[in-house]
Amino acid sequence: MLGFLKKVADYSKDAIGAAKYLSQGLSVTFDHMRRRPITVQYPYEKLIPSERYRGRIHYEFDKCIACEVCVRVCPINLPVVDWVMNKETKKKELRNYSIDFGVCIFCGNCVEYCPTNCLSMTEEYELASFDRHSLNYDNVALGRLPTSVTTDPSVKPLRELAYLPQGVMDPHDLPRNQKRAGSLPSELLDAISTKSSQSDNEEMVDNSDNDNQKSI
Amino acid sequence: MTSPGTVQQAVISPGINLELSFNQALQGLGVPPDLAHILWLPLPMLLVLVAAVIGVLVTVWLERKVSAAAQQRIGPEYAGALGVLQPMADGLKLLVKEDVIPARADELLFTLGPVLVLIPVILSWLIVPFGQHLLISNVGIGIFLWIALSSIQPIGLLMSGYASNNKYSLLGGLRAAAQSISYEIPLALSVLAIVMMSNSLSTIDIVEQQNSAGLLSWNIWRQPVGFLIFWICALAECERLPFDLPEAEEELVAGYQTEYAGMKFALFYLGSYINLVLSALLVSVLYLGGWGFPIPVEWIANLLGQSTQEPLVQVITGSVGIVMTILKAYLLVFLAILLRWTTPRVRIDQLLDLGWKFLLPISLVNLLVTASLKLAFPIAFGG
Repeated sequence: MLGFLKKVADYSKDAIGAAKYLSQGLSVTFDHMRRRPITVQYPYEKLIPSERYRGRIHYEFDKCIACEVCVRVCPINLPVVDWVMNKETKKKELRNYSIDFGVCIFCGNCVEYCPTNCLSMTEEYELASFDRHSLNYDNVALGRLPTSVTTDPSVKPLRELAYLPQGVMDPHDLPRNQKRAGSLPSELLDAISTKSSQSDNEEMVDNSDNDNQKSI
Repeated sequence: MTSPGTVQQAVISPGINLELSFNQALQGLGVPPDLAHILWLPLPMLLVLVAAVIGVLVTVWLERKVSAAAQQRIGPEYAGALGVLQPMADGLKLLVKEDVIPARADELLFTLGPVLVLIPVILSWLIVPFGQHLLISNVGIGIFLWIALSSIQPIGLLMSGYASNNKYSLLGGLRAAAQSISYEIPLALSVLAIVMMSNSLSTIDIVEQQNSAGLLSWNIWRQPVGFLIFWICALAECERLPFDLPEAEEELVAGYQTEYAGMKFALFYLGSYINLVLSALLVSVLYLGGWGFPIPVEWIANLLGQSTQEPLVQVITGSVGIVMTILKAYLLVFLAILLRWTTPRVRIDQLLDLGWKFLLPISLVNLLVTASLKLAFPIAFGG
């Protein structure tokens, strides 16, 4: 008899617990009703890509020396460098250069190793096309500059999460000129340089080695 | 509403009787009474069908918008203002799609399945009252008709599951049948407790009996356990999310709907949403006082010194009734959508455990307690 009663008590306790957790969950879901959408309404709003965004590669034909370093550092030897040896001048003569973005993984090795900096990463990521062969960009297509999200009048640029002020989660309706959380690299550089110049001054005055060691 | 006795009733009971006025107007023009009655008959049916379909469109829109809000999205936005035309666009798309019947499927059963699912749901709208005289038919068996009709649905589901000749469809159909049958019993038992208190199966009487003192006399205060059981079972009958395992997409693709496309799929879709609205309406009828305003409209009329027989008061009472019924139903639909994003799907064994080992005994106890309370306190529990 007691066992049965205990069972009933346990069962009702379980049921009450379940109801409690359910109402807790419901209150969480209900709380979301008053939160603003955080989604980016893509064709009308776009996130501003970060400074180090690795988008479509830009290429400057005139700077290229056809050294083929980009081909060697590419994981799949993707860039096609079409050059001929000019016998008279004994110099390479570049004819064409192309990268197939249907195959490229945007690792940025070519950009990293290019000795003349003729390759660079852009912030362009909208490469959709009807035919995969049209993703094979030649030197003319590679030389085009992408339209920036911030200057496109038909797009509302939104900042990414890391570029928002401290405590702000929603990039919508952010007042202009709000500083992002933390310091910019340039600010950090300034701080370091002023610090070191100060310590330099101190060194000049004190003419001792110890202070210099400390500041470093 | 169609019985000849309504003439007598209409004199006594306040409220608008549209049928009576329509018949009298036609008879005034020299139309014989029988013909006037026949001319009247299709009007409320058409109205309820249109109301049900519009109710579905609103519910689909609401579901998508509330789901979006629960996930911090926007939801449909560009089809009409705030995306209100989105369900219409979805429906039109389904209408023009090709009607595919799988090669090895049983064509007859495959076609009959969705029809059998939809028809009982629409038929059940017969008994949903929006006001004293605002329902298609005040049949004597009332709420029992709905329970009887809703047990036809699993046959249709099983039929379409079997006829699709697809293992997922068959499993989905079997699950749907098992679920419907298990939850029918606690549902019927909790309805029985209500019926016992109001001494009638008619939905009109059930609402009338709750509206003596407005909010305080609603059945939810006398039947809180019954309300919860009914709501859980209604969600299970509608295959709403905590219990949507007949069409669990992670396991069964889409359950019995897997092989369906175009208009036949639209019938399932329509059926499930009409069923949801219907269940919400019936919860509001059985437990939340139906068309009753939280403060009885008669009291307000008396306070303002107006007679309830006055035409303006009657029109206001009627519209308040319709608005209240729909408002209560849609609040429950909102709750169902919130529950959808709150609760995880139960497993089939958990589902059956809940139905047979928890809801059934509790609803039986609820029924017995109601019966004894009715004997002990006949005034409060409708002796």
